Amino acid sequence: MDTQEQELEDIELFQKHVSDRFTELSSPPEDDALLSVSWLHRLLDVFLCCEAEFEAILIMDRDPSQLSKPPFDRLIPEFIERAVKALDICNAVANGVDSVRHCQKLSEIVISALDQNPLGDGHAKRAKKALLMLLSAMNLDDKEGTHVKATERSWSFGRRGVNKEQIAGHFRSLSWQVAKNWSSAKQIQSMIYNLVAPRGAEASGLPSPIYTMNVIMIFVMWALVAAIPCQERNGLPTHFPVPKQLNWAHSLIGLQEKIADEWKKKEKKGMSGLLDELQKMEKLAQSLIDFTDSFHFPGDAEKVKGAAADVSELKEIFGRMDQGLTPLQMHIREVFHRIVRSRTEFLDVLEKGSAPVL
Amino acid sequence: MDGCQSGVPTYEGDLHVVAAAHHIVKALGATKNLSDDLRKILIDLDSHLSMITSNIDSKGGRGLVDVEERLDQAERKIMRWETDPMMIWDSGPKEASDYLEAVDETGKLVDGLRGLSVHENRKQKEILHRAMNILQMAMSRLEEELIHILVRHGQQFEPKHMYSRSIRKDIVYDESFVSVEDEPIKETSSRNYSNDESGECIVDLVHADVIPDIKSIAKVMFTSNYGPEFCEAFISVQKEALEQYFSFLGTENLSIEDVLKMEWTCLSSKMNKWTWSMKIIVRVYLASEKQLCDQVLGGLGSVSSYCFLEISKATILCLLNFGEAVAMGPHRPEKLLRLLDMYETLACLLRDIDTLFSEEAGSFIQLHFHELLERLGESAIAAFEAFRVAISSNGSLYPFAGGGVHPLNKYVMNYIRMFPEYCNTLNLLLKNQHPGVADQVTEPDYGLDASLLTSCPMAYHLRSITSCLESNLHKKSQLYKDEALQHIFLMNNIHYLVQKVKGSELRLFFGDEWIRKHNAMFQQHAMNYERATWSSVVSFLKDDNPGSSSMSKSTFKERCKGFSVAFEEVYKTQTSWSIPDPELREDLRISTSLKVVLAYRTFLGRNLAYTDDKCVKHTVEHVENSLLDLFEGSSRSLRNSRRW
Repeated sequence: MDTQEQELEDIELFQKHVSDRFTELSSPPEDDALLSVSWLHRLLDVFLCCEAEFEAILIMDRDPSQLSKPPFDRLIPEFIERAVKALDICNAVANGVDSVRHCQKLSEIVISALDQNPLGDGHAKRAKKALLMLLSAMNLDDKEGTHVKATERSWSFGRRGVNKEQIAGHFRSLSWQVAKNWSSAKQIQSMIYNLVAPRGAEASGLPSPIYTMNVIMIFVMWALVAAIPCQERNGLPTHFPVPKQLNWAHSLIGLQEKIADEWKKKEKKGMSGLLDELQKMEKLAQSLIDFTDSFHFPGDAEKVKGAAADVSELKEIFGRMDQGLTPLQMHIREVFHRIVRSRTEFLDVLEKGSAPVL
Repeated sequence: MDGCQSGVPTYEGDLHVVAAAHHIVKALGATKNLSDDLRKILIDLDSHLSMITSNIDSKGGRGLVDVEERLDQAERKIMRWETDPMMIWDSGPKEASDYLEAVDETGKLVDGLRGLSVHENRKQKEILHRAMNILQMAMSRLEEELIHILVRHGQQFEPKHMYSRSIRKDIVYDESFVSVEDEPIKETSSRNYSNDESGECIVDLVHADVIPDIKSIAKVMFTSNYGPEFCEAFISVQKEALEQYFSFLGTENLSIEDVLKMEWTCLSSKMNKWTWSMKIIVRVYLASEKQLCDQVLGGLGSVSSYCFLEISKATILCLLNFGEAVAMGPHRPEKLLRLLDMYETLACLLRDIDTLFSEEAGSFIQLHFHELLERLGESAIAAFEAFRVAISSNGSLYPFAGGGVHPLNKYVMNYIRMFPEYCNTLNLLLKNQHPGVADQVTEPDYGLDASLLTSCPMAYHLRSITSCLESNLHKKSQLYKDEALQHIFLMNNIHYLVQKVKGSELRLFFGDEWIRKHNAMFQQHAMNYERATWSSVVSFLKDDNPGSSSMSKSTFKERCKGFSVAFEEVYKTQTSWSIPDPELREDLRISTSLKVVLAYRTFLGRNLAYTDDKCVKHTVEHVENSLLDLFEGSSRSLRNSRRW
């Protein structure tokens, strides 16, 4: 089989794999809900697999000079630029996972406060304090300039009669930021910019997998940003300009639309991450705050039972976070490294390809 | 241990026994040198004794009354502060220790009541509930107090006092090899601090006096299972302080995109800043923070290292991210020295980092560090290679006017003059590279004379770099049409090369043999120049028939004219040539003078009969003086001199 045909076959296979993988992602099993920690792990795995295949097609056994000619002299540098933007997003999301961990820690306090028999007023107060901090941590607008310094937390002045919100201030540290004035939403936006599906002859050649990989990379980064609170997500684009007629893109687009719907719903209410565990935690926290607000020892038996059920659910979520968050950070780091390496490979190819023929 | 159903006398006797035991326990508890374990045992015993008391009393209900009394007392002490606007720890040590005692007592009561057998006494439950509420209130208060203490007594230190050596002169090289003036770069003010400086420098991030207070709060909170709240408060205050300090140092967060797009001068100073901040943060701040955590939370298991990790990791990762962004950047030659700085900084901080983050939870930071170190090393090597390539490929379309020292030469030599400082690091990094990379000019055989320095990897690479440079200079010399100028150019440039090597630590790496050889080279070019220029000129003054009588007048006239024209031509051309080095210039003039003036004087002397003719345009003196004008760098034309 001649190389041209082989190439076409490889591209087709690649796109079939992409389609399959995203179809799998679209129908997760029961305990692997969309945008849960374990689902995100799978998403990252999909990325790594696709990327490996992509690199193999583009670079392996290929004459570098081929990739320096049009349209690759534009497509490859664009891809590399998007890759760099993706790196910053990886960092932002990794930071974000830390703030999710913080929520996990706070929920631990709630659990140990409420996991008492008999439950007393003191326990309820303790839980309420932690719950307020938890809700504040989850819903804090991740806009710049809204961080409440610990020192401003009213400790030193006007202590008595202070309002609860101040006590619950969650400090959003400066080093949580990727950079001043950086915005994850804008970053995604700029990655989408200029993303044009190849047409005509190009659609059946190498430009096609390049486009595919671009879309995958953008989708993965976008999903991460939607799930995990990170710097300045306000204005996150919800629409991807991917033509529906592309076969391989169906499941991906389907996923994207599903997540985008959720995002739009949430955007109105406040900015907690779409991470499944966070969402569940938020609901439980709300329910438990209502409980602790109205609790007086010994409390209504039904309500106490309900709270106990909530707590046990919270324990489960805590467990999942406890197990999954650190590996998630490591996984993101793996993706980070892979993108760095990929970028280097492509830069090398460009350099070799543009060297003057002696 | 169940309540004895005995009569009053025994019951009272039991009470006495228990009371006595209680006193003993209290007395023991007051001893200073108790180990933590022993103390815990005594505390437990204390609670149990309280329980026995109340158990014995249970029939009469007096045990619980006693407990309730104690609780009332503790409650009073605790609640009085709820309405007091003052902070407890600001009010004095006695107030603080009283409060802690009351909290402690409450905690014991809670423990004791909980440990009671399951009699489901309603009164018991009520008291327990009350005690737990009071405890919760106290814990909440302690959290506030903790934050207040940390904030009020937190201290920041002046970074400049830590590392006071002068900052290295910011030598900036840009890509286009713009000529760099031969600034006398002081060898001594090389770095802002030596990388051999090991050892941390611990400062008090919180005033030493309040450490015991914090520790006692920690103890009480952890004993009552309020450890998480303590950690939450402690971490948030300390983390904020670190991050404030971080921005105080002037380091800012930059995205990878920003760094990759950054212009060199800006990036260079940020890289410089980074090496400085890194050392201060790791060796001073984090070391001190770790010590604080240990002081306050030591003895509580892994809590101390957990808190330390949470406090420090965001800042460290931020610093590391900058390093990674730099390592990802394009491998330009001018980056080399700064990359080596960053590499060396990380290398010497490795041990500190391994110590600070020695637990498993912190191992990912160690990993980051090692990864970054490797990447910076690779980047540095790539920059080094780029340097070599840039030298080879630095092409010129036009010959360099005047034949002086080429800017490329200046750039390269001034740059590599600083390499010896990084000798150890470069040797380490270059060791894996092929030594004596194949070049156009083969490596001379230094054989047995090579000392250790001249045969280290860096020395090989330095020599290969200068070989590249020499090749390039040879190519550039070919652009001159005038052969003499080619030699002047090469003479100037090789002389410059040698001077730079001799006048710096480079001489140790290049070795005497190399210096001797290159001295010979430029001297050869000098001689070649002379031959190329003056042979033809002086040929006019040659004596065709030595020994015979003087030549004919017409021959003399011809010769004279020939000489004048040739000389003037040379004068016009070669006054615009340049020999920047004064000594070299002088040497060449002298040597030329000796040849030319002597020949002229002899020539005129032999043909004295014709010398008053108009054809002798220039006096010997004039010729002599005119020679002094050569190589000044600006073209002149010779004015006629007066005839004698």
